[in-house]
Amino acid sequence: MRKAFMIGLAVLGFFVLSPQRATAADLEKLRVSIIPINDVAPLFVAIQNGYFRDLGLEIDTTPSAGGAAGIPGLIGGSFDIVYGNVVSVLLASQQGLDVKVIAPGTKVSARDTDTTPILVRSDSGIKNGKDLEGKSISVNTRNNVIWLYARAWIKATGGDPDKVTFKEIPFPQVEDALRQGRVDASFLVAPFSIVSRQKPGLTAIANPYSDIQLGVDVGQYITTGKLLSAKPETIKKFVAGLRKGVEWFNANPSSDALLTMISGYTKTDASILKSIALPAMPLHTDLPQVKKTMELMIENKLLPGPLDLSKIIDPIAL
Amino acid sequence: MSVVGTLEGASSKPSAAGSIRRRLGPRLYGVLLIAAILLFWEVSSRLGWIVSAYWPPVTKILWAAISQLGGGDILVSLAATLRRALTGYAIGSVLGIALGILLGKSKVLRIALLPLIEIVRPIPTPAVIPPLILFLGVDDALKIFAISLATFFPVFTNTFAGVATVDDTLIQTARTFRTSWARTLLRVVLPATLPAIAAGLRTATSLALVVAVVSEMVAGSSGIGYYLVEMQYALRPDLMYAAVMYLAITGYAVNRLFLVLEARLIPWMGKT
Amino acid sequence: MSQRSEVYRTSLLGLLSPAIVLSVWESAGALGWINPILLPRPSQIVWSLVELVADGAVFPPLLYTIALFVVGYAIASILGIAIGVAMATSETLYGLLEPLVEILRPIPKSALVPVLFLFLGIGKTTMITVVVLAAVFPVLISTFQGVRGLDPVLLETARTFQVSRMRTIFSIILPASLPMILAGMRVALGLGLVLVILAEMLAGEDGIGFRILDLQRAFQIREMFAWIFVLVALGGGLMMLFDLIERTLVPWRGKT
Repeated sequence: MRKAFMIGLAVLGFFVLSPQRATAADLEKLRVSIIPINDVAPLFVAIQNGYFRDLGLEIDTTPSAGGAAGIPGLIGGSFDIVYGNVVSVLLASQQGLDVKVIAPGTKVSARDTDTTPILVRSDSGIKNGKDLEGKSISVNTRNNVIWLYARAWIKATGGDPDKVTFKEIPFPQVEDALRQGRVDASFLVAPFSIVSRQKPGLTAIANPYSDIQLGVDVGQYITTGKLLSAKPETIKKFVAGLRKGVEWFNANPSSDALLTMISGYTKTDASILKSIALPAMPLHTDLPQVKKTMELMIENKLLPGPLDLSKIIDPIAL
Repeated sequence: MSVVGTLEGASSKPSAAGSIRRRLGPRLYGVLLIAAILLFWEVSSRLGWIVSAYWPPVTKILWAAISQLGGGDILVSLAATLRRALTGYAIGSVLGIALGILLGKSKVLRIALLPLIEIVRPIPTPAVIPPLILFLGVDDALKIFAISLATFFPVFTNTFAGVATVDDTLIQTARTFRTSWARTLLRVVLPATLPAIAAGLRTATSLALVVAVVSEMVAGSSGIGYYLVEMQYALRPDLMYAAVMYLAITGYAVNRLFLVLEARLIPWMGKT
Repeated sequence: MSQRSEVYRTSLLGLLSPAIVLSVWESAGALGWINPILLPRPSQIVWSLVELVADGAVFPPLLYTIALFVVGYAIASILGIAIGVAMATSETLYGLLEPLVEILRPIPKSALVPVLFLFLGIGKTTMITVVVLAAVFPVLISTFQGVRGLDPVLLETARTFQVSRMRTIFSIILPASLPMILAGMRVALGLGLVLVILAEMLAGEDGIGFRILDLQRAFQIREMFAWIFVLVALGGGLMMLFDLIERTLVPWRGKT
């Protein structure tokens, strides 16, 4: 009864909003969930330069701050494609959810464009994982990609990750938490890692992605196996359009046009963005790198054993 | 027995000629208190007593709020939130009133449905959002459902309790005059239950707004709840506080509107 | 309320409908009509629940949530009653506080969670403050209305007999307005629970809300449902406890 009542309500809700959904365009519409950060810039390049339209696609992006609602929303049918991180994809797949990687998103390809450091207070004297034992480090979410590489870095620099307290602090709150001494170290992404160092007092002691696994594939574009087998041509077009966007991005790094565009969807001030070094974006998913990440996940007990990556990463991404 | 009423409404001061001065008189201190708090805020930010990227001066927030009036994102977000809140509120209220009356009057339905309702009732709405995302996605269906759910319970509970207190002689009288079942419900039970329903509806208004914001924060991509989170990530605290300000004004206006409607539509309210 | 107890008296019949729903759900799952990953069968969820209880893993988050809630709710109730009585009995305090209360009250408290992070950081203080902010206003308003609604003769009599202000409040005003205060506390109970779960989701280090979101992100749906069951039990338990306390303190309530 309760379920029927729920479904009834959902149906009612659906009717209320259905006029909004109607689109008269003859373009095929794809709903893509994104995180409003630099990493998805190639997607926006492809949209703005009309690459998708030329292929007969209309891309409707939906932001999700921090990306938490991405894969659940994909399963719930709100999105066709989701930008998500490699760890979430593997976790979802391990739990039996039907997710497929169709394109690479972000890659930490060079140390000088790695804007994801571990920050500490300059006077704290903390230099490595060993120093962090008995202290605390913040990540945005436990059991995700940030958490995983923070643990790996602590281990690689002589510490025991189990002796370090991991605190969940959303990125925007990290700077205050660090300065007020509520946490001893933080693994932080751009633009927060840049902005928080504009005032003295905080120092970067490491870049875990570069230190542990230079070349790691952090982000991916994901869809469901169901959609992939139902509309392989549509997905192929999406990947083709995205690749053209990546090529334009890599050819025009730090151009004003690019910065204005990123500022548009992240709502971050363009002057802040200027100080962020943009890494080159990947064209293909790097299978050995994903495999390395998987092994780290097994080591940190996020996965009970190896997964068959060929079933998770579709050949179209390679 | 309205719990979410006003402070003013219950004020039983006589309204004599000098009442305006008498009423504003003591409140002057209250207004001064708020001014002092805001001044402290402004000064603490300008002089750097509190150093945080998220502690902008009040004037900056006000400026952001005013600049939004020309058709900024905040108003668009607010409209989206209100549309969801209203839709969910309407669905939840109608179901709450209907089931409240039906269960109040029918023993069979009571036995069939009341235990189920009682089981679902204590679940805090935010807890059902993560599983619901997997079924309803993150679009309006999810949010409207969550808002309806939150609205339903206070309305249902109040209606149900209200029906129970309807004087049996009224119903007996109606029966004596061979009034039809539906007519009795509409003409006798409903008006007598209205004050209780209104109390439930009023509790539900604030809940609907809270849950609309909550669902947008947890699973959002539009609306004022998402806007708050988005501005946090975009390092724009002035806009975040401005959004909170607009929400407060909205909440206040909704409560006022409700009181006015209540006084108009149910003049016998609170006279029992 | 008598209608409710009527259902419980015929408790076997009362169990009938939940039993039907559970068995439909169970068999729909067993027959493969619903995706077992997204909506596990009740028996599977109960099994997860049993595991949670058996190895004791259920208790730390449960106690954490209860502690946060109880502390926040207690502070909110005391503050709400104190300020409500103060505003209702003193015209000066009414003037001083009314504008502030009217500004803070209509803000949906969920919107304040990100703001509070800035002041109080991520942690217990923030979460307790959220609960206090959510729960204090219903208590305050209903206390105020309850006290203002008291029979003036009662207070006049106290004044005639030169009863001290404190004694008037504790021996006359508070007992007489107790039903209204409790009505406000009932609304506050539900709101406080909503906000404690939300705060744990957005800023949690532990607790049931934190677990639910954590498990959803790890896609461990079965365990997530087990925690929702725990939450249902907690919410139901708290409401029953409240009913019991109310019936003890105000036995005449609901008999009019």
